Amino acid sequence: MTSTETTPFREAPIQPGDLLLSIENLHACVEENEILRGVSLQIRAGEIHALMGRNGSGKSTLSKVVAGHPAYTVTAGSIHYRGQDLLGLAPEDRARSGVFLGFQYPVEIPGVSNLEFLRVSCNARRQHRGQEELDTFAFEDHVRETMAIVQMDPAFLERSVNEGFSGGEKKRNEVLQMALLEPLVAILDETDSGLDIDALRIVANGVKKLALPTTATLLITHYQRLLDAITPDFVHVMAAGRILRTGDKDLAMALEQRGYDWIEEADGSDTLQP
Amino acid sequence: MSNVTQSRPRLWLETLLQVLAQWSGGGAAGQPAGARDWGLPTRRSEAWRFTDLRCLTQLDPTRLHTGTAAPHWPEAFRQAPSGQVSPRRLSLQLDGRGHWLSPQGEPPPWPHGLMPLPTGDIAPGQVLRTVIPSGTLLPLGAQLNGVTPGPSLGLQVSGPDPVHLDLAIQAEHAQAWLAPHVLLVLQPGARLCLNWHVAATAQAAVLPMVEARLGLGAQLEEATMAWGCPGAAFLGGSFIHQSPRSVYRRTNATWGWGLSRDEPFVRQSQGQAETHLHGLAVARGQSLLDTHSTVYFDGPAGRLRQRHQALADDRGHSVFNGRVVVPRVAQQTDASQLSRNLLLSTKARIDTKPQLEIVADDVQCTHGATVSCLQADELFYLQSRGIGRDQASRLLQRGFCEEILQRLPQSALLWPSLQSLLETPVPDQP
Repeated sequence: MTSTETTPFREAPIQPGDLLLSIENLHACVEENEILRGVSLQIRAGEIHALMGRNGSGKSTLSKVVAGHPAYTVTAGSIHYRGQDLLGLAPEDRARSGVFLGFQYPVEIPGVSNLEFLRVSCNARRQHRGQEELDTFAFEDHVRETMAIVQMDPAFLERSVNEGFSGGEKKRNEVLQMALLEPLVAILDETDSGLDIDALRIVANGVKKLALPTTATLLITHYQRLLDAITPDFVHVMAAGRILRTGDKDLAMALEQRGYDWIEEADGSDTLQP
Repeated sequence: MSNVTQSRPRLWLETLLQVLAQWSGGGAAGQPAGARDWGLPTRRSEAWRFTDLRCLTQLDPTRLHTGTAAPHWPEAFRQAPSGQVSPRRLSLQLDGRGHWLSPQGEPPPWPHGLMPLPTGDIAPGQVLRTVIPSGTLLPLGAQLNGVTPGPSLGLQVSGPDPVHLDLAIQAEHAQAWLAPHVLLVLQPGARLCLNWHVAATAQAAVLPMVEARLGLGAQLEEATMAWGCPGAAFLGGSFIHQSPRSVYRRTNATWGWGLSRDEPFVRQSQGQAETHLHGLAVARGQSLLDTHSTVYFDGPAGRLRQRHQALADDRGHSVFNGRVVVPRVAQQTDASQLSRNLLLSTKARIDTKPQLEIVADDVQCTHGATVSCLQADELFYLQSRGIGRDQASRLLQRGFCEEILQRLPQSALLWPSLQSLLETPVPDQP
């Protein structure tokens, strides 16, 4: 899978309710181990989905497969993004076309300036959308304005990407990238983990501001506290590489109170399809 | 000794020494004492087993000359009259006869705190011999520099306010042989920032050598950007004698040479001093970049922070040997050495060796060496933000270099040649 030459074009307008991401019977493995065993999920514009499940149930794997992580091999099934076969695209092309993954463990890259990284990323996305690229001055103004969304100190622009950032600062930097890239589908992998109460509120507010009627968000989380701040339209429970049950925010409340055992015992008998 | 029985390298050296002796007005008989006794090192020697000198010996000794070209000084340096950018800054370039002149070709207007060494005060080679143990063979670059005639730049630095000295050498003509020699005496408490910019764009050899004696509490920051071309050879050496409480910081970036052999040798004469060595070698094409450093603690409570980073791509070859000597007298030495290497091609090569010789028992000495390719998780992280794989790779390589380059003084970063190290700036076009 190689990166394709990017031809600038204007993204077709999106209406609320348009199907953005369609995952059908997805199977994926890392090395010899099958992690995803038939995931199906549809996400439409304007929706916020929450994906919950025990550790090792396949939530992060699903997010990485959607983003195109090379360590995972898709053995069956499909992912379509706005009707296009996403699996045929290189990771950078997926990102340029509007798929964003907020990392659970953002990578530190010594020596690479955060400001330059953000500018190159932002311009890659802008170019794909047929927008004018921002020069260094225009970008600096833009990024400083955008940083207000996550109440991030501009001093972090001068540092290397994520290097020496605290856990909370790394997550704010992820949401900042999301704000700059303006994705149509944002998958946030445990963005709430490792955050104190204030940081969680700031990050959650940032995500809420970026969730528009024309975009979709998939929150991967273990905790109800994120869903207290961001009300999901759908809550999915994943186990052993499949989505076992789908419900609304009450399902998350039930999980908080009862754990996962009862879901796995029922094995999806009253699934509410979105 | 008959030429018939001599090996080619030996013959080459003999011819070179005769030519250099003629330059100094002597003839073969005028060769420095002992010069006929040493020979070119071979790969049978442990210190040279990875380093092929062919790039040097391909020069024709009978055609050597000392011609230089005017360096392409950054605008900020050129604006100043007579090379004196500010009252405490001086910029000099080497002319074709081994003299240091301002970029406008005038003799240096010495800034406050910097003056020529009084005649007879100290001779070239004198500091070197207090740094290198007697009976030890001198590094090849120092040997060749020592037998190349030409006035050395001998300077005395005084006063607590920092003085900046920028030296630029440009070899643009084939068969140039440039062996600048800088001798520095820093009075107690004096501070000097010495910035070298060495460039070769033709088949040539540049052999810069620094001898420095740092008085009590003196500080010397030496920054070198040395960039060459495939046929060019660089043999550099810094020989630093540190008194207690002195600080020596050396940051160098080397790239592009067919052959580079850099040999810093630091001696903390009574310990209780600080040494910081940071080096970057970028070996692309068929470049062979070799750093052999030695730090010798002759007293207690000395400190060393050393980091050498190398990137090898194509058929490039990087060699690092970091020798740290801690004898019994050097108790409470605190030394750390790290060698980080990026290997980007199956035909590139990295040889790295820490060489810690520790006899003292109450010390803290650490070392580490890593050789890796680009990290897959870093590449994916950048790709997941829309950055193409090639561009992401360039960003990561550049980031690797920046870890050392950011230690260079701002004035060193003004040289446009730095872009040739980083290849091209990372464009916005994915």
